[in-house]
Amino acid sequence: MSTSTAMSTSPALTWGSYRRTITSVALVLIVLVFAFSSARRVVWVDLYEFFLWMETTWFGVIGKTWGAAFAVVEAFHLLAMALLGGAVFVADFRLLGWSFPDVPAQDVLDKAHKVFVVGLIVVLSTGIFMACGVAGKIYWLPVFWYKMLALMTGILFVFFIKRPLLNRDLDEIKPWVVKLVAVASLLVWITVAATGRWIGFAGS
Amino acid sequence: MNELLYNFAVWLDSHELSTMLHESYYMYNWVESTHVLTLMLCLGMLFLIDLRMMGLAFPNIPANSFANRLNIPMLIGFSVMVFTGLWLFYAVPVRSTQSVWFRVKFFLLIAAAINAFLFHKNMINASGSWATDIKAPKIIRIGASLSLLFWMAIVICGRFIAYDWFDCEYTEPGLSQFLSGCIDGQTLF
Repeated sequence: MSTSTAMSTSPALTWGSYRRTITSVALVLIVLVFAFSSARRVVWVDLYEFFLWMETTWFGVIGKTWGAAFAVVEAFHLLAMALLGGAVFVADFRLLGWSFPDVPAQDVLDKAHKVFVVGLIVVLSTGIFMACGVAGKIYWLPVFWYKMLALMTGILFVFFIKRPLLNRDLDEIKPWVVKLVAVASLLVWITVAATGRWIGFAGS
Repeated sequence: MNELLYNFAVWLDSHELSTMLHESYYMYNWVESTHVLTLMLCLGMLFLIDLRMMGLAFPNIPANSFANRLNIPMLIGFSVMVFTGLWLFYAVPVRSTQSVWFRVKFFLLIAAAINAFLFHKNMINASGSWATDIKAPKIIRIGASLSLLFWMAIVICGRFIAYDWFDCEYTEPGLSQFLSGCIDGQTLF
């Protein structure tokens, strides 16, 4: 009797507990299927006008006219990426048990998340400025779209999978799940940084 | 001095390995990407240590224990950055030697190293139970602020090296050529 009750309620419970996680994974999968199928071409062609418009904005004009301004913003993009990376490494190293074993994991995660958010805001704002300056060029670079895909995955992963999951009592989560989340987080953000760096090489 | 540096750079440039590294699209880009990506590890840890000392991050973790723990990954990242940085210099020795930004970056690295030495010395010498305070003592906070400023300037200079604004090849004799250490009649750039 109890088994059948559990079986009948488990799908709803699973959906309720993991609603955001399942939605995020589904969204990433949909975007991945879209990105690697011919359907993407239709939207991609339509986006060209938007990218041309980006170059005509204030950011675009400044970025294209003053190389020094672009270079300074680029440097702050890197610095913010370093800050974001530091926050990711500290949090994930703690989850992997490599650092601060004597400090409650939740403490480290919460404080690291605050730093992460600051880093992310600066990365996004400087990134938008830079994208406006070279919009006509990056539009044609596959690596730019890979970076956008990785960035979107990273943001969804942090706010809809990692944070909600780790906001619970960590003792209730299986250790291998916690470690898997840490490894996934490290891989996603290293991919974001690496694809971002490669935009510079692909565009030159 | 400039002539000596130029001759040394020309000698490095004459190495077949230097040319191979410079002309290899993937190898050069991998080395440069590693150099830049290691920023996330090295500077990420360094920024957090500095921010902790200034009371702006992780106030609940004792400051000295925080610094000691993050020093290891920071030094690993720093070693990789130095290693890849030397390879990048070896790949483009003449232009790097005569880059104003490279020269400024070099002096800033020395200043950052001296500051790091003093910072650690002050941290060890600091008396009392400051480690659990939200803010570290003033002398340590000054060191942390200087560290942040030095490293921000180092990254900005590093980024500027890629631009050819003051390259000997494209500038007229004057202040920029003086600062870059350009040599009269040089044939290699």
